[in-house]
Formats: sequence, C-alpha cells, structure tokens
Amino acid sequence: MESAGELSYMENGESNKRLMGKETCNNNGGVIRTAHNRSNSFMRKKSDPILVSTIRFQMLRQFLTNLQQVIFGTKLAVLFPAIPLAIAADYYKFGRPWIFALSLLGLTPLAERVSFLTEQIAYYTGPTVGGLLNATCGNATELIIALFALYQNKIHVLKYSLMGSVLSNLLLVLGTSLLCGGLANLKKEQRYDRKQADVNSGLLLLGLLCHMLPLMFRYAAQPSGISIAESTLELSRASSVVMLVAYIGYIIFQLKTHRQIFDAQGDGGEDEDEDEEKAVIGFWSGFSWLVGMTLIIALLSEYVVGTVEAASETWGISISFISIILIPIVGNAAEHAGAIIFAFKNKLDISLGVALGSATQISMFAVPLCVVVGWIMRIPMDLDFSLLETGCLALTILVVAFTLQDGTSHYMKGVVLCLCYIAISACFFVHKIPAPLDQTNVNLELNSA
Amino acid sequence: MASLQEPWLLETGNLKGCSKEIRHGRTAHNMSSSSLRKKSDLTLVSKVRFVMLRQFLTNLQEVILGTKLSVLFPAVPLAIVAQCYGFGRPWVFALSLLGLTPLAERISFLTEQIAYYTGPTVGGLLNATCGNATELIIAIFALSQHKIDVVKYSLLGSVLSNLLLVLGTSLFCGGIANLRREQKYDRRQADVNSLLLLLALLCHSLPLLFRMSGASAALTADPTLQLSRASSIVMLIAYVSYLVFQLFTHRQLFEAQEESEDDDGVSEEEPVIGFWSGFIWLVGMTAVIALLSEYVVGTIEDASNSWGISVSFISIILLPIVGNAAEHAGAIIFAFKNKLDISLGVALGSATQISMFVVPLCIVVAWIMGIKMDLNFNLLETGSLALSIIAVAFTLQDGTSHYLKGLVLLLLYIVIGACFFVLKTPLSNGIDTVIGA
Repeated sequence: MESAGELSYMENGESNKRLMGKETCNNNGGVIRTAHNRSNSFMRKKSDPILVSTIRFQMLRQFLTNLQQVIFGTKLAVLFPAIPLAIAADYYKFGRPWIFALSLLGLTPLAERVSFLTEQIAYYTGPTVGGLLNATCGNATELIIALFALYQNKIHVLKYSLMGSVLSNLLLVLGTSLLCGGLANLKKEQRYDRKQADVNSGLLLLGLLCHMLPLMFRYAAQPSGISIAESTLELSRASSVVMLVAYIGYIIFQLKTHRQIFDAQGDGGEDEDEDEEKAVIGFWSGFSWLVGMTLIIALLSEYVVGTVEAASETWGISISFISIILIPIVGNAAEHAGAIIFAFKNKLDISLGVALGSATQISMFAVPLCVVVGWIMRIPMDLDFSLLETGCLALTILVVAFTLQDGTSHYMKGVVLCLCYIAISACFFVHKIPAPLDQTNVNLELNSA
Repeated sequence: MASLQEPWLLETGNLKGCSKEIRHGRTAHNMSSSSLRKKSDLTLVSKVRFVMLRQFLTNLQEVILGTKLSVLFPAVPLAIVAQCYGFGRPWVFALSLLGLTPLAERISFLTEQIAYYTGPTVGGLLNATCGNATELIIAIFALSQHKIDVVKYSLLGSVLSNLLLVLGTSLFCGGIANLRREQKYDRRQADVNSLLLLLALLCHSLPLLFRMSGASAALTADPTLQLSRASSIVMLIAYVSYLVFQLFTHRQLFEAQEESEDDDGVSEEEPVIGFWSGFIWLVGMTAVIALLSEYVVGTIEDASNSWGISVSFISIILLPIVGNAAEHAGAIIFAFKNKLDISLGVALGSATQISMFVVPLCIVVAWIMGIKMDLNFNLLETGSLALSIIAVAFTLQDGTSHYLKGLVLLLLYIVIGACFFVLKTPLSNGIDTVIGA
C-alpha cells in the first residue's frame, strides 16, 4: 500500500530521505511554491510524532502518522466532525436546512485538505504537473458544487455560485488582505509586482467580454421577437472554447515561459518548518487520500445543492444571496485566511496571487468547463448571467483592475473593495427572485420590455 | 461681540509669530479660494474716529469687500426685493443664482479663517463638510419641497461639473500656459479619489440594474429603496475612512505644496478676523444662502418654462456652474502657475465630497423625513456619470498632464451638456407624486 519505508525515515528525521526527496523533485525549479500553496501552509501545524511512536506495530504506527498528518494537520480540523454529522442528518432525515448548514461547514476543512494533498503530490510529480494539478484542483470545491448543480439541472444555482466565487475572490479576499495589510504596515510602503496583476486583469476582462456578448445579444434581439435561445447557446459554447484556449495560454505563460513573474518570493529564515522541501506523506497515500476526500466533497456537495431551496425558504433568504455570498465564503475560507496572514507580513505578491489566481481560474476554467459539460450532457447552460449579475461583475473587474494598476497599496484600497462587496451583497440580499418552476428555462428574469 | 483686539494687532503685525504655531492645514481648497481674495486697504477706514466703529468697518470690509466677486453682492438684496414685490419669477431665479456665487466663496473664506483658531484637524473637517455648503443647502431645500428630480440632477451636475468642467479647464489653461514645461502631479491623490468615485458609481449602478432587470416598477420599488439606503450608509463609511486617511494617517499625500514667493499677501498664516466674528458671519451668510436657495428651488419650473429650457438642463448644467464658480476660478489660476496638485485637489476633492457625502446624506435625510429618494439616477444620468468617471480616472492615472487632456474633458462636458439640452423630459417624481408648488 504505502511506501512504509519512507515514513519511518521521516519520523527519525534522517537525512537519507531528504537527499532522495531532493533528487526526485526536479532540480530545475524546485517544487513550485505557488502563492496558493504557501498561503495554505499557514493553516497547517506541525504534527507531533512522539505520541504515535510509542505504539508498537510499525504498520499501525505509520498509518496513524499518516492519519495525523492528513486529518489533524490543519487548524480547521475542528470542523471535521461536521462531516459525519451531515451524513447522519441526511440519513436520519433531520431538517433539510440542518443538512445544508452542516454540509457547508464540513466542506471548509475538506477544501483545505485537498489543496494540501495536491501540494504533497506535486513534490513527487515535478513542478509542471504539480502546477497543473494545483491549477485544476485549486478550486475543486467550487467545481464539484457546480457540476452537481448542473447535473440536478439547477442552472441558476450554478451560475450564481460561480459568479459569487469570482466576486468573493476579487472583492472580499483581496479587500480584507489589502485592508489588514495596510493597517498593519501603516508606516511602511507596500509594493507588489503589477505585471502579475495586469495579466490576471486582462484575462478577467476577456471573461467579462464573453459574458456580456450573450447578454447584449439577447437585449438586441428582443424587439424583433425572434427566438435567440439557440443562437445564444451556440455563442456561449464557442466563447467557452475561446476561454479555455485562453486559460491554457495562461497556464503555459505562468508555468513555462514567464515563471519569474509568478514565483513567490523566497524568504530565508522566516516562518515555520513547512518551508523545508519535502513531502510529509507518500505519493500513493496522498493519492488515495485525495481520491477519498474528493468523494466526500462530492457527497457533501450533493447535499448542499439538493437542500439549497429548503434552506432558503426556512431561513427567509433568497437563493441568489445564498449562492452568491454564503457558499463562496465557505469555499474560500482557507485561502482567505492565508491571504490575510501574508498581507500582514507585507508580502502582497502572495496575497494577490491567491486572490487573483483563484478568480482567473474560476472565470476562465470552471465556467467554460461547465458550459462544455452541459453541452455534452445536453443541458442548455449558457454564458448569459443576466443583467444584474453581469453588471456587478463588470464593475467589480473595473474597480479591481483600476485598484491594482499602480503597484502600491494602502488600507484605503482595501476599505473600498470591502465596501463594494458589502454593497453588492446588500443588493442580492434584497433581490428576491422566485425559484424557477420550469427547469429547462435558464433565463430567470421577467423582463419588462 | 467680536474679539476686537485682534484686527488691531494684525494691522501692526504682532501676532505673526503666534499664528505660525497653529498649523491650520492649508488644504488645496483653502489655497485655491485664497487666490480670489484681495488685500483690504485699511487706510480709508483708519480715518474714522471712533475705535469700535472703525473695527466694525474693518471687519465689514474684510468680509464683504474682500473678494473680487463682491461685485455680485448687490444681487442678494435685489433678489429679496424681487421676491417681495412679486417681480417675474424668472428674475427671482436669475438674481438668486447670481447672489449665491459670492456667498459661496465667502463661506469658504470664513471656514478657512475659523480653521486658524480650531487647529488643522477640525479645520480640515470643517472644510470637508462646508466646502460644498451651497449644493448641500440647495439639495435639502429641494428635498423638503419634494422635488426629488431636482435634487438628483443638481448633485449629479455638480459632480460632472467638478470632474469635467473645472478639471478640464484647469488642465487646458495650465497646459496652454506651460507649453514648454513638464507638468507633473502626484498621482496617488488622484488614485484615491478615483477609487472612491468608482465605489460611488457601483452604488449608483446597483439600484439602476436592479430596476432594469426587475419585474415591474411596483415590485422593485421597495427593495430598491432599501438597497439605496444600505448603500448610502456604505458610502458614508467610506467617506469617514477617507477623512481619516486624508487628515490623519496619510496627510503627506494631500498637503498643498508650500510656496514662499507667492502673489497676494494672504499667504501669510494669520487670520484677518476674529473667531467669534467669523462664526457670526458664517451663520449669517448660511442663513442668506438658505434664503436664496429657497427662492432658486421654488422658481425653477417657472424659469424653465419662460426660458424654454428643460429643468434637467438647468439643474445639471446651470446650477452647478454657479455654485462652483469660485473654486473654478481658483483651480484655473493655480493651473496657470503649474501647481496642478492644488487644482486636482480642488476638483477631485469636491467631486468626491459630493458623491460620497452629500448624496448619501440626502438619502439619509430623506429617510428621516419619510421621502422616498433612492440612488437610482436613471439610465442616461448614470451612464454619463460612469463614462465621466472612467474618462477622468484614465486621464489622471499617469501623473503628467498636457492641454489635450483638458480639451478632451472639456469637450466631454460640452457633449453631455448638449445631451441634456435636447432632452426635454417632464418631471417624473417616481413614486412620490406630490408636485411641489
């Protein structure tokens, strides 16, 4: 099963494994310590192997070490009991809002653990595949929720949750990071490399164009009365292919040709011992944990998507508010905390890398992937996210692009971004649209012509 | 009554050393208004025998005649006479407008004088609140007379006028006058203001999009109102943190450059009137402004009917030009001297103040008074605002200037003015259908 030999070397702290580890990692660029990985490393705590080593049987000991690393290796582990509670609630038919809330709470540590496992696997597969893995699995939670919503034909939940994730990354995560960083470093000058921010802003603007074209298409064709649903769908599908091509170009740019822009700044004797470049679990154990956790995420996501209407009715909040505001806050909690911590230390490049990279990934990868999957499953999902949401997205991207274009930061920028997020969430709080009765109709609003 | 000793001492120049210790924050707003002052010639007054009378006349001369705009002061009593004797209402409107111009400038002068005594922070706060006193008073009077459209149009027009007209003419004149020199300014101040204006744009766009994407006007009216009120609180929080940013933590970004070899003698750092006399004059002038504003708001429809121009044009173009005349002149003068930071501080600071303070304050006041005013300024006006803010943010983002930037902004303003000139819409008061008398 696992390479049990490796674990025993780790416990003894011998340097044999260290050397071996260093050779398996590609010496060209070392392991990719992307911003995403480094921010999550703050959520980890060093596992204490002393307790485990007193147990006799070696296999059991290694298994328990593995377990300890994976399950308890994060400060968010307190939320892990929510997972069995959610499953029990579903099995014993507790109130559906309870299932919703418990599933949401359970998703938070799982999302963080998936990113940890991805990083561990990246040690073994080398920087390029590791970077690709990170790029794809970095937002695994949002992607899985979206695919389940697509499968259950709840297109509006899907659109709202993806868009809410972009907004949350661009405004909430970035805003709180800049605010906290600015307040903590009042006397210091805060700088970051604006080229990374520029690349991300450019891609987000491309995503915005691809969203606005079907929307304007629909408004332009309204007076003439012809049915444009099919044309919008074709346009959306073509745009999705374009967006995926752009994303692949971005991956090549980030991982191969212009890596120096994106490499997180190295710091010598700074934080804890997570900086050492070795994996703490074996490759196959990491892989099996990854598969297992993804399955649990899938299960909880199915609960979330299935019970969102019931929760909305019971709590009296609109579905749009839950999808746009609540679900992304939960999904992004780990990245959020990491970004704030790095901003406190005046390492804004990493905070920006986390927030902007996540937003770009969702906007240019998750959304078109859902359109393509919908295409395959013959579900009419298009890129038309209706006027209010697209307007919010446009103004958000505009504000963020303008904020980040000069390369310096102060707390006022963070204040403005946070207040933008509060204004947008107030807007969706009062936006009480009725849930769609016709599942095949993806256009929700009742337009007064 | 007034601290009569001080003008005497100032005449003999004894207090100079004492005043320098009071760092009263020479913000851009103060410095630009100071260019409109003229040094009072006290020789005529000193011939008057009685001491009390002499000091009172000195005070009067400083306050009333201490500005080049004082030629317009006779319009104030003329307007009152016109109202009392029932002259044509368009005349009342025009005379009130003319009378408001010097009063607005005097208010800013008095605020600056009081700031000498209260210290830099309270002085800055006073300036931030009273800097646009005229627009605020006009807006509140229009609100009390239930003319919500006039409120929205006049505030929007004030923002547009500051962003495009004042800034455009300053950059244009400054560019023409300094053709051979490089014109630079600190872009960080412009960035903060542009960012706040973008937040204001978001808060204006959300109710508009909400309304446009909603089912019917009846269903979305209440949520739009709640959203506007929540957004107003957000904007006020942003304005408070902007004040903290500007007056406490990052003052160095906003302080006007000191100049030693300047023109008029008002650069010297001492007040010319006493604190209490300044305060009394301030209260008195505010009362006169309130009176004239009431005339303006009351007679705007009649003026519009007689002159054949739409109310929207009068509110968006004419009213703000009058209200901003003093700042406008000051900004142009400083641009001529290649001191663009001050011109930008005046124009952008005024625009930020109106969009982040006056507009949400009106919404909150309307909330208290039970009037349904929201942030939905309709498609055309919000579109103009959006494009203006984007154009200005883009123009100012590189830290240099030339006359073409000013020309473009100026032409933008002319186009928007033409748009509202040809737009003859009837006054639609939305949900509140009371037509003000």
